[in-house]
Amino acid sequence: MIGTIARRAGWTVVVVWFAVTATFLVTIAIPADPARALVGPHATAKALERVRAHYCLDRGVVGQYGCWIARVARGDLGESYRSKRAVAAIIADRVWPTAQLALAAIALQLALGVPLGILAATRRGRWPDHAVHLASSIAQSVPAFVAGTVLLYVTAYRWGWFPIGGYGAGGWDRLAHLALPAMTLAAVGTAYYARLVRAELIDVLREDYVRTARAKGLPERIVIGRHALRNALGPIVTLVGLDLGVLLGGAVVIELIFAWPGLGREILQAILELDIPLILGVAMVSACAIAIANLIADVVQLALDPRLREPA
Amino acid sequence: MSRPPVCRPARSSWALVALAGLGAAACDPADHGPRFRPAGSPTPRAGGTLRFAVKDSLHTLDPTIGYDEIGYYVLHPLFDTLVDFSPAGIDVVPRLARRWSISPDGLVYVFELQPGITFSDGAPITAAHFKFSLERALAAADSPFAEFLADIAGAREVIEGKAAACAGIIAETDGRLAIRLARVNPALLDVLAMPFTTPQRPEHVAAAGDQLRRRPDATGPFELDSWDEGNRIVLRRNPHYFRPQRAHLDAIVMLENIPRDTQFQLFERGELDAAEKLAAPDYLFVMTEPAWQPWVHHATVMNVFGSRMNVRIKPFDDRRVRQALNYALDKRHTARLLNGTTVPSHGILPPGMPGRDPDLAPYPHDVAKARALLAEAGYPQGFDVDYLTTHDEETEKVAGSLQSDLAEVGVRVHITVTSLATYQAEIGQPTRSAFSFASWTADYPDPTDFFDPRFHSRSIKPADSTNDSFYSNPELDALLDAARAELDPGRRDALYRRAERILYDDAPWIWDYHRVITEVTQPYVRGYELHPIWTRDYTSAWLDLGPGGAPVPR
Repeated sequence: MIGTIARRAGWTVVVVWFAVTATFLVTIAIPADPARALVGPHATAKALERVRAHYCLDRGVVGQYGCWIARVARGDLGESYRSKRAVAAIIADRVWPTAQLALAAIALQLALGVPLGILAATRRGRWPDHAVHLASSIAQSVPAFVAGTVLLYVTAYRWGWFPIGGYGAGGWDRLAHLALPAMTLAAVGTAYYARLVRAELIDVLREDYVRTARAKGLPERIVIGRHALRNALGPIVTLVGLDLGVLLGGAVVIELIFAWPGLGREILQAILELDIPLILGVAMVSACAIAIANLIADVVQLALDPRLREPA
Repeated sequence: MSRPPVCRPARSSWALVALAGLGAAACDPADHGPRFRPAGSPTPRAGGTLRFAVKDSLHTLDPTIGYDEIGYYVLHPLFDTLVDFSPAGIDVVPRLARRWSISPDGLVYVFELQPGITFSDGAPITAAHFKFSLERALAAADSPFAEFLADIAGAREVIEGKAAACAGIIAETDGRLAIRLARVNPALLDVLAMPFTTPQRPEHVAAAGDQLRRRPDATGPFELDSWDEGNRIVLRRNPHYFRPQRAHLDAIVMLENIPRDTQFQLFERGELDAAEKLAAPDYLFVMTEPAWQPWVHHATVMNVFGSRMNVRIKPFDDRRVRQALNYALDKRHTARLLNGTTVPSHGILPPGMPGRDPDLAPYPHDVAKARALLAEAGYPQGFDVDYLTTHDEETEKVAGSLQSDLAEVGVRVHITVTSLATYQAEIGQPTRSAFSFASWTADYPDPTDFFDPRFHSRSIKPADSTNDSFYSNPELDALLDAARAELDPGRRDALYRRAERILYDDAPWIWDYHRVITEVTQPYVRGYELHPIWTRDYTSAWLDLGPGGAPVPR
């Protein structure tokens, strides 16, 4: 098992390198001049030259890539063209808000989606199943920017139940600010988890060992909780890993609508301003988040399902 | 968070959908006006915190680097300069200099500093601090301001790294600064009002290092209290400011990265004191509600918008084509799309700018004349052309309007929307984009800031050309050079009016509009007007609040 984990960890490094290099090549291919974007329309040719030299922009593609990789190897992600601030510091500021949003959304998805899925599976064909199906279809069909805008307008602006956007000062205030974006982000995920759990559980409930457990006279909650659900968890764990990785990379639309100061909003602004070091830094963090979350999901899968482990 | 319900119809379509489903929240739709009123103080009241928000991030507080609209919202209250522009105007007034003299040949400026001026820690400001600051702007690798000072004797050597000190900037005594020019620049005083010219201490710059962007050495009426980057910046009153009566507020808070819709919702709930760049539904709501009218501020800021044509690329190498497109544009459409917040333009100089000819009428909308000119130029069936614009609500709308206007005369416009960075790179090269959106905003209110970078042949470069029409006309060059050297304001204005006429006829742009900006403030915000250069400058605003510092309900 340790060998398997080590090999997957090695692939994780390769995936991160590949993602970042691909991002770098895309930023280079864009027909735009970051130096001009940086110093504005009035700058002299001399000022442009100085800026290009300062940020290695006067070198070829390989030179620029080398310049950037050399910095990364020293643990330095460079500095943002726009703010002159260390990219690592910007990301450090943005990771925690994004992590709070991601963890809150995942927690809500699991807390609501799994029980709803169990309910639908165990009441298959009856009204709870239909209700979950209808609600999840609606939740999955409504785009986040619509759900977010409507929730913000109605519950925050009209009814005053929540603050109108922002990050809050900490403690309860932070929780109050977190609630709406987390709920919006969780809405689609909850629906997806409910449907997935329902489908997996229905399959598992047909298995012989479930019939055996029932035949033994075990209470239904033990049959579902201990026997069926555990075997239905595999795809859910994988999905949590994927979701967590993606959400840790930043939820652009939700962060924009709710003025949440996370990575998603940061990378959007960096792309619009062609702030290449920041784009690369955030891409690296996002790639790492996805790769590591997947690695953790793999490890959990290995722990849950002995069949996935290599023979000794 | 407690608040009375906001009682007015939903404006956004999403909100309408939501309310249709949920039923209107209980409220009285009769009163859509402000929730508060001024307390009625006849004189400015000290104290209080003014809160406003912006859509983007603030990047830096280093005056030598900060060069965008949002940056100026905080740099101007933080940093005083030798001179400034009058409140809500463009007249140059004394600030850290109490008086100045200009030699008859216009080449030597001598400034006498105000007595008792200090940095925010109480340390005195001397002429040497101005010299250091100006030289830093000339030498710093990423300073965008070097070109503004290029007329000072010895500046070019500092820009090119051949000298560390600028011979033309002389700290004669602690209280006296002289600036010697290599060539006349009647706009020098305007340049010296820009925040990058604020005095700076070499020891502070050295000690702050790369943290200078967060550690402003304030010289203005406010100083930095805190900055949670990307979220909010708080300025507090500078206790050592030499003219304390200029500022009344205890603090100014600017929230960053708040979407425009959200800003207005926060404003209506009383959580912000001012809202600007309103989304169209909010703008229409405010403009149609009589109770808000006394608290709506308008200003024509120094800008111009239109479409630039690359005169080296066919068919725009033919003046008749360029004129035809000017006749084909219906400026009323643009005005309607932008809710009437435009002034039609006849050229690049905005209203209020010296040298602008107010009698020169914009091109009229004349489809027959446009067709005739196109036919005369050899395009009776019109032509197909690509049009580049930026990813922005306003520019995309305007491009759509242009497309439909030009279709009327047979010109089929194919719009490409791109990021600002890509757009800038494309239009700055002579052989790339032939036709694109164009705009320009003044750094200071002088025609040199408009004509010379945009239309002087000296500004044509193989890349990053600011003259992105690649328009070259020796007659115009000679006029602009003569105007630049002319010290008599009357004669100078006459020269610029001739320049305007030439550009009107040669039409390297489709002249479209100057943007009027609108801001709405809470009724208790007093002593405030939009500024044509600084836009949102709350330095001298005050809050007419009730006893205890709370707003008085209406």
